[in-house]
Amino acid sequence: MDNLGIVLAVIGAALAALLAGIGSAKGVGIVGEAAAGVVSVDPSKFSKVLILQLLPGTQGLYGLLTAIILLSRIGLIGGSAADLTTAQGLQFLVASLPIAVVGLISGIVQGKTAAAGVGITAKKPDHNGKGIIMAAMVETYAILALLISILIIYNIAL
Amino acid sequence: MNGTKYANAVGAVRAMENTLLGKSDIDQLVNARSKAEVDSIIASKRGSGANSDGLAEVWAMLREYAPDCKELEILLYRNDFHNLKAVLKAIISNRDPQHYYISPSNVELPVLVDAINTKEYDNLPEYMRDTAAKAYELVTRTLDGQLSDSLIDADALKAMQKSAVRYGSDFMKRYANLLTVCADIKTAYRCSILNKSAQFMETAVCGSDELEKDALIKAALGGAESLFSFLEASHYSNAGALLKESTAQYEKWCDDVLIELAETARMQAFGAEPLEAYFIAKEAEIKNLRILSVCKEFGADKETITERMRKLYV
Repeated sequence: MDNLGIVLAVIGAALAALLAGIGSAKGVGIVGEAAAGVVSVDPSKFSKVLILQLLPGTQGLYGLLTAIILLSRIGLIGGSAADLTTAQGLQFLVASLPIAVVGLISGIVQGKTAAAGVGITAKKPDHNGKGIIMAAMVETYAILALLISILIIYNIAL
Repeated sequence: MNGTKYANAVGAVRAMENTLLGKSDIDQLVNARSKAEVDSIIASKRGSGANSDGLAEVWAMLREYAPDCKELEILLYRNDFHNLKAVLKAIISNRDPQHYYISPSNVELPVLVDAINTKEYDNLPEYMRDTAAKAYELVTRTLDGQLSDSLIDADALKAMQKSAVRYGSDFMKRYANLLTVCADIKTAYRCSILNKSAQFMETAVCGSDELEKDALIKAALGGAESLFSFLEASHYSNAGALLKESTAQYEKWCDDVLIELAETARMQAFGAEPLEAYFIAKEAEIKNLRILSVCKEFGADKETITERMRKLYV
Protein backbone atom coordinates (compact mmCIF):
# COMPACT_ATOMS: atom_id res chain seq x y z
CA MET A 1 0.00 0.00 0.00
CA ASP A 2 1.62 3.27 -1.18
CA ASN A 3 0.05 5.60 1.38
CA LEU A 4 0.43 3.32 4.41
CA GLY A 5 2.74 5.79 6.15
CA ILE A 6 0.28 8.67 6.07
CA VAL A 7 -2.61 6.36 6.97
CA LEU A 8 -0.77 5.17 10.09
CA ALA A 9 0.03 8.75 11.09
CA VAL A 10 -3.60 9.80 10.67
CA ILE A 11 -4.72 6.79 12.74
CA GLY A 12 -2.33 8.02 15.43
CA ALA A 13 -3.88 11.50 15.38
CA ALA A 14 -7.37 10.03 15.49
CA LEU A 15 -6.48 7.77 18.43
CA ALA A 16 -5.04 10.68 20.41
CA ALA A 17 -8.21 12.72 19.99
CA LEU A 18 -10.54 9.74 20.31
CA LEU A 19 -9.25 7.90 23.37
CA ALA A 20 -8.31 10.98 25.38
CA GLY A 21 -11.68 12.46 24.47
CA ILE A 22 -13.51 9.34 25.65
CA GLY A 23 -11.56 9.47 28.92
CA SER A 24 -12.54 13.09 29.45
CA ALA A 25 -16.16 12.55 28.51
CA LYS A 26 -16.48 9.68 30.98
CA GLY A 27 -14.61 11.57 33.69
CA VAL A 28 -16.63 14.75 33.29
CA GLY A 29 -19.80 12.65 33.21
CA ILE A 30 -19.00 10.91 36.50
CA VAL A 31 -18.28 14.20 38.27
CA GLY A 32 -21.34 15.74 36.64
CA GLU A 33 -23.57 13.04 38.12
CA ALA A 34 -22.20 13.55 41.61
CA ALA A 35 -22.29 17.34 41.23
CA ALA A 36 -25.88 17.31 39.99
CA GLY A 37 -26.86 15.30 43.06
CA VAL A 38 -25.33 17.92 45.35
CA VAL A 39 -26.78 20.86 43.42
CA SER A 40 -30.26 19.28 43.43
CA VAL A 41 -30.19 19.54 47.22
CA ASP A 42 -28.04 22.66 47.65
CA PRO A 43 -27.90 24.85 44.52
CA SER A 44 -25.54 27.32 46.23
CA LYS A 45 -22.67 24.84 45.76
CA PHE A 46 -22.88 24.96 41.96
CA SER A 47 -19.79 27.09 41.36
CA LYS A 48 -17.65 24.98 43.70
CA VAL A 49 -18.57 21.64 42.18
CA LEU A 50 -18.26 23.05 38.66
CA ILE A 51 -14.50 23.51 39.14
CA LEU A 52 -14.21 19.84 40.04
CA GLN A 53 -16.26 18.85 37.02
CA LEU A 54 -13.95 20.77 34.68
CA LEU A 55 -10.79 18.97 35.83
CA PRO A 56 -11.19 15.69 33.88
CA GLY A 57 -11.95 17.70 30.74
CA THR A 58 -8.30 18.55 30.12
CA GLN A 59 -7.32 15.11 28.81
CA GLY A 60 -9.60 15.64 25.82
CA LEU A 61 -7.87 18.95 25.13
CA TYR A 62 -4.44 17.28 25.35
CA GLY A 63 -5.56 14.65 22.85
CA LEU A 64 -6.87 17.34 20.52
CA LEU A 65 -3.65 19.34 20.86
CA THR A 66 -1.54 16.25 20.08
CA ALA A 67 -3.70 15.42 17.05
CA ILE A 68 -3.39 18.98 15.69
CA ILE A 69 0.39 19.05 16.18
CA LEU A 70 0.71 15.63 14.52
CA LEU A 71 -1.47 16.62 11.55
CA SER A 72 0.42 19.86 11.22
CA ARG A 73 3.77 18.03 11.33
CA ILE A 74 2.78 15.66 8.52
CA GLY A 75 1.41 18.57 6.52
CA LEU A 76 -2.25 17.68 6.55
CA ILE A 77 -2.99 21.01 8.23
CA GLY A 78 -1.50 24.18 6.75
CA GLY A 79 0.54 22.61 3.99
CA SER A 80 0.81 19.67 1.67
CA ALA A 81 0.78 16.12 2.99
CA ALA A 82 4.28 14.72 3.52
CA ASP A 83 5.31 11.58 1.69
CA LEU A 84 5.73 9.31 4.70
CA THR A 85 7.34 5.90 4.71
CA THR A 86 5.62 3.10 6.60
CA ALA A 87 8.26 3.35 9.34
CA GLN A 88 7.68 7.09 9.73
CA GLY A 89 3.91 6.60 9.81
CA LEU A 90 4.34 3.94 12.45
CA GLN A 91 6.51 6.31 14.49
CA PHE A 92 3.75 8.93 14.43
CA LEU A 93 1.21 6.29 15.45
CA VAL A 94 3.37 5.20 18.39
CA ALA A 95 4.00 8.85 19.31
CA SER A 96 0.27 9.41 19.79
CA LEU A 97 -0.13 6.40 22.10
CA PRO A 98 1.09 7.97 25.39
CA ILE A 99 -1.57 10.68 25.44
CA ALA A 100 -4.19 8.40 23.88
CA VAL A 101 -3.88 5.65 26.49
CA VAL A 102 -2.94 7.78 29.51
CA GLY A 103 -5.60 10.32 28.52
CA LEU A 104 -8.28 7.62 28.46
CA ILE A 105 -7.35 6.08 31.80
CA SER A 106 -6.47 9.28 33.67
CA GLY A 107 -9.65 10.99 32.49
CA ILE A 108 -11.81 8.28 34.06
CA VAL A 109 -9.69 8.01 37.19
CA GLN A 110 -9.63 11.78 37.62
CA GLY A 111 -13.39 11.80 37.23
CA LYS A 112 -13.75 9.32 40.09
CA THR A 113 -11.36 11.31 42.29
CA ALA A 114 -13.14 14.57 41.52
CA ALA A 115 -16.52 12.94 42.23
CA ALA A 116 -15.18 11.95 45.65
CA GLY A 117 -14.08 15.59 45.98
CA VAL A 118 -17.67 16.62 45.30
CA GLY A 119 -18.52 14.74 48.51
CA ILE A 120 -16.00 16.90 50.39
CA THR A 121 -17.56 20.04 48.91
CA ALA A 122 -21.05 18.87 49.85
CA LYS A 123 -20.18 18.17 53.46
CA LYS A 124 -17.40 20.68 54.13
CA PRO A 125 -17.50 23.47 51.52
CA ASP A 126 -14.55 25.25 53.15
CA HIS A 127 -12.33 22.28 52.30
CA ASN A 128 -13.25 22.33 48.62
CA GLY A 129 -9.64 23.13 47.68
CA LYS A 130 -8.43 19.82 49.09
CA GLY A 131 -10.74 17.92 46.76
CA ILE A 132 -9.45 19.97 43.83
CA ILE A 133 -5.80 19.29 44.74
CA MET A 134 -6.41 15.54 45.05
CA ALA A 135 -8.08 15.41 41.65
CA ALA A 136 -5.40 17.66 40.12
CA MET A 137 -2.67 15.19 41.19
CA VAL A 138 -3.99 12.75 38.57
CA GLU A 139 -3.48 15.46 35.97
CA THR A 140 0.31 15.17 36.36
CA TYR A 141 0.41 11.92 34.48
CA ALA A 142 -1.71 13.20 31.63
CA ILE A 143 0.68 16.16 31.31
CA LEU A 144 3.71 13.85 31.29
CA ALA A 145 2.10 11.72 28.57
CA LEU A 146 1.29 14.84 26.54
CA LEU A 147 4.89 15.99 26.87
CA ILE A 148 6.27 12.67 25.64
CA SER A 149 3.84 12.50 22.73
CA ILE A 150 4.76 16.01 21.57
CA LEU A 151 8.51 15.40 22.01
CA ILE A 152 8.34 12.26 19.90
CA ILE A 153 6.20 13.92 17.21
CA TYR A 154 8.65 16.84 16.89
CA ASN A 155 11.67 14.56 16.81
CA ILE A 156 10.60 12.17 14.09
CA ALA A 157 12.87 12.78 11.14
CA LEU A 158 10.98 13.46 7.90
CA MET B 1 -18.66 2.10 34.92
CA ASN B 2 -20.13 -0.15 37.62
CA GLY B 3 -17.63 1.24 40.09
CA THR B 4 -19.24 4.67 39.91
CA LYS B 5 -22.81 3.57 40.50
CA TYR B 6 -25.19 6.00 42.21
CA ALA B 7 -22.72 8.92 41.98
CA ASN B 8 -25.68 11.26 41.61
CA ALA B 9 -27.56 9.81 44.58
CA VAL B 10 -24.45 9.81 46.76
CA GLY B 11 -23.82 13.48 45.90
CA ALA B 12 -27.36 14.34 46.97
CA VAL B 13 -27.06 12.28 50.15
CA ARG B 14 -23.78 13.98 51.08
CA ALA B 15 -25.49 17.35 50.77
CA MET B 16 -28.45 16.13 52.83
CA GLU B 17 -26.21 14.78 55.57
CA ASN B 18 -25.55 18.41 56.50
CA THR B 19 -29.14 18.65 57.68
CA LEU B 20 -28.86 15.73 60.12
CA LEU B 21 -28.78 16.75 63.75
CA GLY B 22 -25.24 16.95 65.10
CA LYS B 23 -23.86 16.67 68.62
CA SER B 24 -24.29 20.37 69.36
CA ASP B 25 -27.91 20.23 68.21
CA ILE B 26 -28.60 17.25 70.48
CA ASP B 27 -26.84 18.99 73.40
CA GLN B 28 -29.04 22.01 72.84
CA LEU B 29 -32.13 19.80 72.81
CA VAL B 30 -31.05 17.93 75.95
CA ASN B 31 -30.51 21.22 77.73
CA ALA B 32 -33.93 22.49 76.76
CA ARG B 33 -36.04 23.06 79.87
CA SER B 34 -39.35 21.71 78.59
CA LYS B 35 -40.96 19.73 75.81
CA ALA B 36 -42.27 23.02 74.42
CA GLU B 37 -38.70 24.30 74.16
CA VAL B 38 -37.64 21.05 72.44
CA ASP B 39 -40.44 21.49 69.93
CA SER B 40 -39.42 25.09 69.38
CA ILE B 41 -35.74 24.15 68.75
CA ILE B 42 -36.76 21.37 66.36
CA ALA B 43 -39.12 23.75 64.57
CA SER B 44 -36.29 26.27 64.16
CA LYS B 45 -34.04 23.46 62.78
CA ARG B 46 -36.77 22.54 60.35
CA GLY B 47 -36.52 26.06 59.01
CA SER B 48 -32.91 25.42 58.02
CA GLY B 49 -33.72 22.00 56.63
CA ALA B 50 -32.75 19.78 59.57
CA ASN B 51 -35.23 17.04 60.40
CA SER B 52 -37.69 18.49 57.93
CA ASP B 53 -38.37 15.05 56.50
CA GLY B 54 -39.97 11.99 58.05
CA LEU B 55 -38.69 8.55 57.14
CA ALA B 56 -41.30 8.12 54.39
CA GLU B 57 -40.08 11.29 52.65
CA VAL B 58 -36.45 10.23 53.02
CA TRP B 59 -37.33 6.87 51.51
CA ALA B 60 -39.20 8.49 48.60
CA MET B 61 -36.21 10.70 47.93
CA LEU B 62 -33.74 7.78 48.00
CA ARG B 63 -35.92 5.82 45.57
CA GLU B 64 -36.10 8.84 43.30
CA TYR B 65 -32.31 9.08 43.13
CA ALA B 66 -31.72 5.32 42.91
CA PRO B 67 -34.90 3.73 41.52
CA ASP B 68 -33.09 0.59 40.33
CA CYS B 69 -31.38 -0.16 43.63
CA LYS B 70 -33.11 -3.32 44.81
CA GLU B 71 -30.90 -3.82 47.87
CA LEU B 72 -32.30 -0.63 49.40
CA GLU B 73 -35.60 -2.45 49.81
CA ILE B 74 -34.03 -4.66 52.49
CA LEU B 75 -34.11 -1.63 54.78
CA LEU B 76 -37.92 -1.80 54.75
CA TYR B 77 -38.34 -5.54 55.31
CA ARG B 78 -38.89 -4.95 59.04
CA ASN B 79 -41.75 -2.57 58.23
CA ASP B 80 -43.18 -5.00 55.66
CA PHE B 81 -43.27 -7.85 58.14
CA HIS B 82 -44.59 -5.60 60.90
CA ASN B 83 -47.41 -4.63 58.54
CA LEU B 84 -48.05 -8.30 57.86
CA LYS B 85 -48.48 -8.90 61.60
CA ALA B 86 -50.74 -5.87 61.87
CA VAL B 87 -52.94 -6.88 58.95
CA LEU B 88 -53.28 -10.47 60.19
CA LYS B 89 -54.37 -9.33 63.64
CA ALA B 90 -56.65 -6.61 62.28
CA ILE B 91 -58.40 -9.01 59.91
CA ILE B 92 -58.86 -11.69 62.56
CA SER B 93 -60.20 -9.19 65.10
CA ASN B 94 -62.30 -7.23 62.56
CA ARG B 95 -60.39 -3.97 62.97
CA ASP B 96 -59.15 -1.44 60.47
CA PRO B 97 -55.55 -2.37 59.57
CA GLN B 98 -54.87 1.20 58.47
CA HIS B 99 -54.36 2.18 62.13
CA TYR B 100 -51.49 -0.28 62.54
CA TYR B 101 -49.83 0.12 59.15
CA ILE B 102 -46.46 1.83 59.19
CA SER B 103 -44.71 3.46 56.28
CA PRO B 104 -42.44 3.48 54.39
CA SER B 105 -43.04 -0.05 53.26
CA ASN B 106 -42.36 -2.08 50.12
CA VAL B 107 -45.89 -3.49 50.17
CA GLU B 108 -48.92 -1.22 50.03
CA LEU B 109 -51.69 -1.86 52.55
CA PRO B 110 -54.41 -2.83 50.01
CA VAL B 111 -52.08 -5.43 48.47
CA LEU B 112 -51.37 -6.91 51.87
CA VAL B 113 -55.02 -6.90 52.96
CA ASP B 114 -56.14 -8.42 49.67
CA ALA B 115 -53.51 -11.18 49.88
CA ILE B 116 -54.54 -12.14 53.42
CA ASN B 117 -58.27 -11.92 52.71
CA THR B 118 -58.14 -13.99 49.56
CA LYS B 119 -55.27 -16.20 50.72
CA GLU B 120 -53.72 -15.52 47.31
CA TYR B 121 -50.18 -14.64 48.25
CA ASP B 122 -48.76 -14.32 44.73
CA ASN B 123 -49.17 -10.53 44.74
CA LEU B 124 -46.88 -10.25 47.73
CA PRO B 125 -43.12 -9.99 47.24
CA GLU B 126 -41.47 -13.39 47.06
CA TYR B 127 -39.67 -12.91 50.39
CA MET B 128 -42.91 -12.77 52.38
CA ARG B 129 -45.26 -15.15 50.54
CA ASP B 130 -44.44 -18.27 52.54
CA THR B 131 -44.37 -16.37 55.80
CA ALA B 132 -47.80 -14.86 55.16
CA ALA B 133 -49.27 -18.27 54.40
CA LYS B 134 -47.60 -19.96 57.39
CA ALA B 135 -48.50 -17.16 59.82
CA TYR B 136 -52.14 -17.11 58.71
CA GLU B 137 -52.42 -20.85 59.07
CA LEU B 138 -50.70 -20.75 62.48
CA VAL B 139 -52.76 -17.93 63.94
CA THR B 140 -56.08 -19.35 62.73
CA ARG B 141 -55.19 -22.84 63.93
CA THR B 142 -53.65 -22.03 67.31
CA LEU B 143 -55.10 -18.53 67.97
CA ASP B 144 -51.66 -17.83 69.45
CA GLY B 145 -50.83 -14.30 68.28
CA GLN B 146 -47.49 -14.31 70.07
CA LEU B 147 -46.33 -17.43 68.27
CA SER B 148 -47.33 -16.10 64.85
CA ASP B 149 -45.64 -12.76 65.65
CA SER B 150 -42.47 -14.61 66.59
CA LEU B 151 -42.61 -16.59 63.36
CA ILE B 152 -43.02 -13.40 61.31
CA ASP B 153 -40.21 -11.59 63.17
CA ALA B 154 -37.81 -14.47 62.65
CA ASP B 155 -38.79 -14.82 58.99
CA ALA B 156 -38.23 -11.07 58.47
CA LEU B 157 -34.64 -11.46 59.60
CA LYS B 158 -34.17 -14.58 57.48
CA ALA B 159 -35.55 -12.72 54.45
CA MET B 160 -33.13 -9.84 55.06
CA GLN B 161 -30.17 -12.20 55.27
CA LYS B 162 -31.26 -14.06 52.15
CA SER B 163 -31.84 -10.91 50.08
CA ALA B 164 -28.55 -9.37 51.20
CA VAL B 165 -26.76 -12.49 49.95
CA ARG B 166 -28.77 -12.48 46.70
CA TYR B 167 -27.92 -8.84 45.96
CA GLY B 168 -24.29 -9.46 46.92
CA SER B 169 -24.14 -6.50 49.27
CA ASP B 170 -21.58 -6.90 52.06
CA PHE B 171 -22.97 -3.84 53.81
CA MET B 172 -26.51 -5.22 53.84
CA LYS B 173 -25.25 -8.67 54.86
CA ARG B 174 -23.61 -7.07 57.87
CA TYR B 175 -26.75 -5.02 58.52
CA ALA B 176 -28.98 -8.11 58.43
CA ASN B 177 -26.56 -10.05 60.63
CA LEU B 178 -26.40 -7.29 63.23
CA LEU B 179 -30.18 -6.95 63.33
CA THR B 180 -30.47 -10.72 63.68
CA VAL B 181 -27.95 -10.89 66.50
CA CYS B 182 -29.66 -8.03 68.37
CA ALA B 183 -33.12 -9.56 67.93
CA ASP B 184 -32.00 -13.11 68.76
CA ILE B 185 -30.29 -12.07 71.99
CA LYS B 186 -33.37 -10.11 73.04
CA THR B 187 -35.72 -12.99 72.13
CA ALA B 188 -33.56 -15.56 73.89
CA TYR B 189 -33.42 -13.36 77.00
CA ARG B 190 -37.20 -12.90 77.10
CA CYS B 191 -37.78 -16.60 76.50
CA SER B 192 -35.38 -17.50 79.30
CA ILE B 193 -37.21 -15.21 81.73
CA LEU B 194 -40.66 -16.41 80.66
CA ASN B 195 -39.59 -20.08 80.64
CA LYS B 196 -40.66 -20.53 77.03
CA SER B 197 -40.37 -23.98 75.51
CA ALA B 198 -37.63 -25.12 73.13
CA GLN B 199 -40.32 -25.43 70.45
CA PHE B 200 -41.33 -21.78 70.84
CA MET B 201 -37.71 -20.66 70.71
CA GLU B 202 -37.14 -22.76 67.61
CA THR B 203 -39.77 -20.61 65.88
CA ALA B 204 -38.79 -17.27 67.44
CA VAL B 205 -35.01 -17.35 67.13
CA CYS B 206 -33.64 -16.73 63.64
CA GLY B 207 -29.94 -17.55 63.97
CA SER B 208 -27.00 -16.13 62.06
CA ASP B 209 -23.40 -16.87 61.14
CA GLU B 210 -22.27 -14.95 64.20
CA LEU B 211 -24.60 -16.39 66.81
CA GLU B 212 -25.56 -19.97 66.22
CA LYS B 213 -29.26 -20.71 66.73
CA ASP B 214 -29.09 -24.09 68.48
CA ALA B 215 -26.40 -22.97 70.91
CA LEU B 216 -28.36 -19.81 71.76
CA ILE B 217 -31.57 -21.77 72.36
CA LYS B 218 -29.72 -24.29 74.51
CA ALA B 219 -28.26 -21.48 76.61
CA ALA B 220 -31.63 -19.71 76.95
CA LEU B 221 -33.30 -22.96 78.05
CA GLY B 222 -30.89 -23.02 80.98
CA GLY B 223 -32.19 -19.66 82.22
CA ALA B 224 -30.97 -16.04 82.08
CA GLU B 225 -27.67 -16.74 83.87
CA SER B 226 -26.87 -19.55 81.47
CA LEU B 227 -27.60 -17.18 78.56
CA PHE B 228 -25.31 -14.49 80.00
CA SER B 229 -22.53 -17.04 80.42
CA PHE B 230 -22.99 -18.13 76.81
CA LEU B 231 -22.88 -14.54 75.58
CA GLU B 232 -19.81 -13.80 77.67
CA ALA B 233 -17.92 -16.46 75.74
CA SER B 234 -19.15 -15.15 72.37
CA HIS B 235 -18.21 -12.12 70.25
CA TYR B 236 -21.06 -10.31 71.96
CA SER B 237 -19.87 -10.38 75.55
CA ASN B 238 -20.40 -6.59 75.85
CA ALA B 239 -24.00 -6.96 74.66
CA GLY B 240 -24.59 -9.68 77.28
CA ALA B 241 -23.09 -7.51 80.02
CA LEU B 242 -25.28 -4.56 79.04
CA LEU B 243 -28.40 -6.72 78.89
CA LYS B 244 -27.62 -8.05 82.37
CA GLU B 245 -27.35 -4.46 83.60
CA SER B 246 -30.41 -2.97 81.89
CA THR B 247 -32.54 -3.64 78.84
CA ALA B 248 -32.51 0.10 78.03
CA GLN B 249 -28.70 0.01 77.79
CA TYR B 250 -28.93 -3.07 75.59
CA GLU B 251 -31.45 -1.39 73.27
CA LYS B 252 -29.09 1.57 72.97
CA TRP B 253 -26.22 -0.77 72.12
CA CYS B 254 -28.34 -2.37 69.36
CA ASP B 255 -28.97 1.05 67.79
CA ASP B 256 -25.36 2.14 68.23
CA VAL B 257 -23.88 -0.88 66.44
CA LEU B 258 -26.05 -0.05 63.42
CA ILE B 259 -24.75 3.53 63.39
CA GLU B 260 -21.19 2.17 63.68
CA LEU B 261 -21.94 0.07 60.61
CA ALA B 262 -23.35 3.12 58.81
CA GLU B 263 -20.16 5.03 59.61
CA THR B 264 -18.18 2.59 57.47
CA ALA B 265 -19.95 4.03 54.42
CA ARG B 266 -19.12 7.64 55.23
CA MET B 267 -15.91 7.59 53.20
CA GLN B 268 -17.43 6.01 50.09
CA ALA B 269 -18.00 8.18 47.04
CA PHE B 270 -20.05 5.65 45.04
CA GLY B 271 -22.40 2.70 45.52
CA ALA B 272 -25.55 2.05 47.48
CA GLU B 273 -23.89 1.97 50.92
CA PRO B 274 -23.95 5.76 51.52
CA LEU B 275 -27.69 5.77 50.70
CA GLU B 276 -28.35 2.90 53.09
CA ALA B 277 -26.19 4.54 55.75
CA TYR B 278 -28.14 7.78 55.42
CA PHE B 279 -31.42 5.94 55.90
CA ILE B 280 -30.07 4.20 59.02
CA ALA B 281 -28.80 7.56 60.31
CA LYS B 282 -32.17 9.18 59.73
CA GLU B 283 -33.91 6.32 61.57
CA ALA B 284 -31.54 6.84 64.51
CA GLU B 285 -32.16 10.59 64.47
CA ILE B 286 -35.91 10.11 64.56
CA LYS B 287 -35.54 7.63 67.42
CA ASN B 288 -33.34 10.10 69.33
CA LEU B 289 -35.96 12.82 68.96
CA ARG B 290 -38.71 10.48 70.17
CA ILE B 291 -36.68 9.48 73.23
CA LEU B 292 -35.89 13.11 73.94
CA SER B 293 -39.49 14.13 73.57
CA VAL B 294 -40.74 11.38 75.91
CA CYS B 295 -38.00 12.08 78.47
CA LYS B 296 -38.85 15.78 78.50
CA GLU B 297 -42.53 15.02 78.84
CA PHE B 298 -41.86 12.89 81.91
CA GLY B 299 -39.35 15.36 83.35
CA ALA B 300 -36.26 13.12 83.11
CA ASP B 301 -32.98 14.76 84.15
CA LYS B 302 -30.23 15.66 81.67
CA GLU B 303 -27.97 12.77 82.69
CA THR B 304 -30.70 10.23 82.05
CA ILE B 305 -31.52 11.75 78.68
CA THR B 306 -27.85 11.93 77.64
CA GLU B 307 -27.41 8.31 78.71
CA ARG B 308 -30.33 7.25 76.51
CA MET B 309 -29.24 9.21 73.42
CA ARG B 310 -28.15 7.02 70.52
CA LYS B 311 -24.85 7.52 68.66
CA LEU B 312 -24.95 10.11 65.90
CA TYR B 313 -23.89 9.62 62.31
CA VAL B 314 -22.53 13.17 61.88
